[in-house]
Amino acid sequence: MGEKTDVWQGTLALMVLRTLELMGPQHGYGLARRIEQTSGELLAVNYGTLYPALLKLEQEGYIRSRWGVSDNNRKAKFYELTKAGAKQVRKAAAEWEQTTAILARFLSPQGES
Amino acid sequence: MRFLRSFWMRLRGSISPQKSDDFSAELESHIAHHVDDGMRAGLSADEARRRALIRLGGTEQTRQAHRDRSTLPWLEVLVLDFRTCLRSMRKHPTVAVVAILSIALGVGANATIFSMVSRFVLQAPPVGEPSTLLAVGIAGKGEPCCNSFSVPLYDGFRAQSKSFSAVAAYFDLFAASISGNGAPQRVWGQGVTTNFFDVTEMPMVLGRGFIASESRAPVVVLSESLWRSRFQADPHIVSNTVQLSGRTFTIVGITPSAFHGVDQILDAQFWIPLNTMVSMIPDAPPPSDRNSHWLNVVARLRPGITLDQASAEMEPLSADLANIFPDSDKGFLFSLRKAGSLPPRESGVVKIFLAALMAVVLLVLAIAAANVANLLFAQALSRQREMAVRLALGATRTSLRRIVLLESLLLSLAGGMLGVALSLAATRGLAAFHFPAPVPIDVSLAVGGRVLLYSFVASVVCGMLLGAGPAWAASHPRLARALKGEDALASPGRRFSLRGVLVVTQVAMAVILLSMTGLFLRSLQSSSMIDIGFRSNGVTMLSVDPRLNGYSAQRTVDFLQQLRNRAQVLPGVDEAAITDVPLLSGGNRTDGFTVAGKGDPPVPTDLYMATPGYFRSLGIPLVNGHDFGNEATNGSKVAIVNRDFAEKMFPNTNPIGQHVKGPNGIFEIIGVVGDTKSRTLGEEPRPILFRPLNQTLTYENSFMGYTLIVHTKGSTAALTEPLRRLVYSLDPAVAVFNQETMNAHIRSAYFLPRLAATLFGTMGFIGLVLALVGLYGVMNYSVSRRTHEIGIRMALGAQSHSVRRMILRQGLRLVAIAIVLGWPAAWFLAKLSSSFLYGIEPHDALTFAAVPVLLITIALIACWIPAQRAASVDPMETLRAE
Repeated sequence: MGEKTDVWQGTLALMVLRTLELMGPQHGYGLARRIEQTSGELLAVNYGTLYPALLKLEQEGYIRSRWGVSDNNRKAKFYELTKAGAKQVRKAAAEWEQTTAILARFLSPQGES
Repeated sequence: MRFLRSFWMRLRGSISPQKSDDFSAELESHIAHHVDDGMRAGLSADEARRRALIRLGGTEQTRQAHRDRSTLPWLEVLVLDFRTCLRSMRKHPTVAVVAILSIALGVGANATIFSMVSRFVLQAPPVGEPSTLLAVGIAGKGEPCCNSFSVPLYDGFRAQSKSFSAVAAYFDLFAASISGNGAPQRVWGQGVTTNFFDVTEMPMVLGRGFIASESRAPVVVLSESLWRSRFQADPHIVSNTVQLSGRTFTIVGITPSAFHGVDQILDAQFWIPLNTMVSMIPDAPPPSDRNSHWLNVVARLRPGITLDQASAEMEPLSADLANIFPDSDKGFLFSLRKAGSLPPRESGVVKIFLAALMAVVLLVLAIAAANVANLLFAQALSRQREMAVRLALGATRTSLRRIVLLESLLLSLAGGMLGVALSLAATRGLAAFHFPAPVPIDVSLAVGGRVLLYSFVASVVCGMLLGAGPAWAASHPRLARALKGEDALASPGRRFSLRGVLVVTQVAMAVILLSMTGLFLRSLQSSSMIDIGFRSNGVTMLSVDPRLNGYSAQRTVDFLQQLRNRAQVLPGVDEAAITDVPLLSGGNRTDGFTVAGKGDPPVPTDLYMATPGYFRSLGIPLVNGHDFGNEATNGSKVAIVNRDFAEKMFPNTNPIGQHVKGPNGIFEIIGVVGDTKSRTLGEEPRPILFRPLNQTLTYENSFMGYTLIVHTKGSTAALTEPLRRLVYSLDPAVAVFNQETMNAHIRSAYFLPRLAATLFGTMGFIGLVLALVGLYGVMNYSVSRRTHEIGIRMALGAQSHSVRRMILRQGLRLVAIAIVLGWPAAWFLAKLSSSFLYGIEPHDALTFAAVPVLLITIALIACWIPAQRAASVDPMETLRAE
């Protein structure tokens, strides 16, 4: 249970940061919907798992929060990227690209001779 | 960094109450947005809300997950467990108190002994960079180190060795009389080469060390303790002057109080340049003498060179310098060791003694820990019902174990802290033991950081180990039977319970401890009955050293004779005499003697100087010949010998009138006295030769000064002041030292047996008390568990006295097993300690017979109360209470 959760939480954090980078400040529900859409509806996790992840990112200083008013004219807590968060997105994205590139070489049909 | 930040925020979240409304509002907002979307898609409000909640994954779960992230759950669980532990300890205060006290005794004993180990084996001298400062000695191949250097050898070593950045030398210890700021005082100091303080990188409190040009100058460095005691820590003391043995010296620096000399045991109080010291010692050997070994050498390793590399250089270096070694030391090698460590010749005995002590106190700690484990075990068993209920309600076994482990850890830490406090008192008590040595030594103990760390680790290890068993027991209650209220771990037919095993082990260890204690107590007793051969009651002494004041030999003789004459006429004085060093001071001068004209190998003989009246004042019987009288100072040499000397040199002949030859000439024997102890209490009779004071001083000087011995039929305390004033009336500049009664002097000769008896006695007593508390606990518990069974037995006709007997038999069986296990172990250990025992065999019959008897008796007493409880069980009560 532990490892899968850690990997998932790591990727979820990156997805949140990337989404905030592209879309600007968002509230929790909006982020959940947007991530679902971006992943092509392949990810069908509980929206509730987002909130601990958001809290962790906030504690680590990658995002900050403040109350505001949403499009629906309701009060909502908005999250936005901090400077450290922006840097972290770039860094994590580069790491992931490298990891997937290496793995792709191993998993390709021919493999390395 | 990020981790720290989030940890910090979570910690804050744990400590300060959370504003949970904030997240509730956020959750509500989330659900509201989802419902909006759902309604926009055409769902009803209820359906939209239902789907939103499902998609969320449950409000409570989300809330909980959020809460877990915003606080430190493990911390909160720990605090809760902590509170539970405190609560349960408060409910059973006896258990907690006994546990804490037991651990305190065990850890306290360990801390005390470890502070001795820390001081004598592990401590580095308070010099700069102690790890690169080495002490250099000379030793024969395969022989224990170390001998001293001669000056030519030191010069050669210094010039030719390549592994060292600097080499310095010093002379151990010499006496001077310091005056000028109050009563004259005898102090001990060292003569050092001018680079000594540079090589040791001594952090001076004030001033500086010596500079190269001062090798013959009258300059002195004082110790901080002398600076404080004699000069009231005067901050302007540097460049003031002070009188040392009549000469004026300029003070150039103060060393820190922790420094008493590189050896760490001798208590040096001042340092002067080596050549200056040589000019102050009468009859000092010429520095160029190859055969005088008197220098100790320290060397600082060059940066980057290790001890092994330097040691590798020593063999070729010894070969190169072979021609400077004296002829008697051919084949000797330089040997290196860390400065301040005990030289190998001495360290062997010390290390064995300390190792034995460590083993003993670890044994005590083990007994204490077994006690506490037993107690916790009993507690765990009595809480089975509670544990079973918790398990049934969903608690994990881990959490049950955690609580018990935390409790044992807390008890051990509390016991450890109390133990450290006890060891502070104990080390202070040990300081009251004066190590008997004619030279000042510093063996003070301190509970320092290393000891505290050791105690902490010991407590934690203790807590974890002894909590393991009870923790397991708590987490595995036999569910069904525990819920029914039965004692799940006492299955019928089970002969060995874990608690029983623990108690047997405890009592076995107590047998071992008590046997050792018995041996050392007997050793002390037998040593106190040793006949020392002279009188100790009603005798008081003081010492002076007029040579330190520049007296010539003749003037010293006159001074001492005047001192004796005036002491003789003091009211209450029966007899007065002068000697150099009193008997039982650990040794003095020795020479080899042969019968004049014969070529036999010389008999090593202890030498003492004496005036007329010496033997009378000490009650030593004169068995032949006569006392010293009016021998001419420059006449032919005479001597009085003891019976052992006479028998060894002149068996079956009258020694009176015979002549013996020693290094200082030929002596005529004029008297024979009874045997006395000379150096230590435990020695066999050895040859002693007494020389008349006035004759001896013409060619020899006593290094340790001279002692006035006075015998009175009245009170010795009344003579203390009058005798001091007597010395000052002859010369106010002469220092008086070592003023004590003979009884006090003898007491310090009992140092080793007293120390061993005290230490082992205390440990034995503690171990016994702990083991018996454990035995009582187990018997008590067993009875309380068996009340039902006992009730049935009594209802079926058993008498109360047979019930009592049954319980007593059960207890005694445990003790018997323990004695069978422990007795052989004690027998074996006793053999190892034979070198520490006086006058008794290591397998002393009395001890080994008495210990089992004592243990059985006290065990009977410990089992009596539980047995009585069993006997007074009312069968009606127990049968009714199902």
